Amino acid sequence: MIASLGRFGLFVGTFARASLTHRPPVARTLEEAYRIGVRSLPILLVISAFVGTNLAFQGFYGFRSIGGQAFLGMFVALSGVREMVPIMVAAMVAAKAGTEMASQIAVMRSREQIEALEVMAVDPYWYLITPRFLGILLVLPPLTILSIATMLLAGWAVVVAQLHQNGQAFLGLAFGSLYTVDFLFATIKGACFAVIICLVSCFQGFTSERGPAGVGQATNKAVVYSAMVCAILNYFLSQALYG
Amino acid sequence: MADATDPVIRLVDVHKRFGDLVVLDGVSLDIPRGQTVAIIGPSGAGKSVLIKHIVGLLEPDSGEVWVDGIDMAHATERQKRGVRKRFGMLFQGGALFDSLTAGENVAFPLRYHTKLSESERRRVAEEKLAMVDLPGIYDRPTPQLSGGQRKRVGLARAIVLEPEVVVFDEPNSGLDPLTSDTIDDLIVRMKERLGITFVVITHDIVQAVRIADWIGMLWEGHLVEYAPRERFLHTRKQVVRAFMKRNVTLPQ
Repeated sequence: MIASLGRFGLFVGTFARASLTHRPPVARTLEEAYRIGVRSLPILLVISAFVGTNLAFQGFYGFRSIGGQAFLGMFVALSGVREMVPIMVAAMVAAKAGTEMASQIAVMRSREQIEALEVMAVDPYWYLITPRFLGILLVLPPLTILSIATMLLAGWAVVVAQLHQNGQAFLGLAFGSLYTVDFLFATIKGACFAVIICLVSCFQGFTSERGPAGVGQATNKAVVYSAMVCAILNYFLSQALYG
Repeated sequence: MADATDPVIRLVDVHKRFGDLVVLDGVSLDIPRGQTVAIIGPSGAGKSVLIKHIVGLLEPDSGEVWVDGIDMAHATERQKRGVRKRFGMLFQGGALFDSLTAGENVAFPLRYHTKLSESERRRVAEEKLAMVDLPGIYDRPTPQLSGGQRKRVGLARAIVLEPEVVVFDEPNSGLDPLTSDTIDDLIVRMKERLGITFVVITHDIVQAVRIADWIGMLWEGHLVEYAPRERFLHTRKQVVRAFMKRNVTLPQ
């Protein structure tokens, strides 16, 4: 465990030095951002929508028993914007983009392509990780905001169409209980999760064993460790930002 | 400044172990400039580990690895990168990037180490592809290349920066005998045409005899024999003769 943490620390240090001592790979960063953003967006929108519907249901039936339906907007907004959506987006992006990063790099490790980069005097940390890091950092905050908007919209639709409640009152209370900083904090969480997902996934790919089993293990560990670290970090971030 | 008669690569008493496994056990070796050197030996003898030391991918536990006057074991990353720009390497599987076309793979080092425009890079890459008898395949996706073609594209990439030394890791592994002969012919032709130093790691003694000026044999971490080709073929060392017996007719 301590040895693994030490190796991860060394990996992050080497990556940071490589990124700071080379020109940023702008074109490849934009390619990565486009790829991560476009591929993750549909699944994120679907899941965010259904997080919104279910928060609305749970809020409605939970508050109805104490006559507090009016708090529905506040419940959906606070739980969704502050907690559910940022961590759910992180988990989905870890499952989609993180596993892709780990498996691609692990396959390159297996096929000696990382060593080939080194022999060609091209820094593999800069070539492979920097564009992925900047790309995911660029798209995860806006993906989080888009997912929040979808979640609120879906929650509103259920409140109006299915629960037959006052939609305007729902939105009024939802936005009334939120501050601008809530959106800022959601993007900060998104950025922190982006850093974790990228570094953990790329580390798993870089340090994978050769062969198909190694690629499978790296992919599996990437999603498990990324999601776990994001969940733990989410607790501390919420403490720091809202405590 | 390095003299033309100095060895381009010098290993001095190199030791390397992975855990309890001793892979290199005091290997010393001079690789003469402009010559083709083949290192033979059975699988697991430490051949690949040896060349990874030469290109600085591995560091010895003890001993020295000198490349053109620079000690790779103690060189900074910047120095190693400088040395590597003068190296080309053909990996066992080619190590081509599947997301690029054959030609883009060849042009890859030019993109990062020259100021050539895209069209100039393409021209140089096409020239190198023609040199390895693969004209007109610049735009072919890498996954569509056969095993032999991958090796030749890998070779074109290895020579694209016109290096001083090209290192081959098992250039014939996984190839049929005819394709293997083609690769051997290419290596001989390249050496005559470009006059560069080749270091070839192989378990194929026939290939070594066909292409090399010097041959060495690694056995259980030791370089048990290292000599010019003719002298090597007349060696009295039993382990070397036993290894060669399967493939070549030995002098009495």
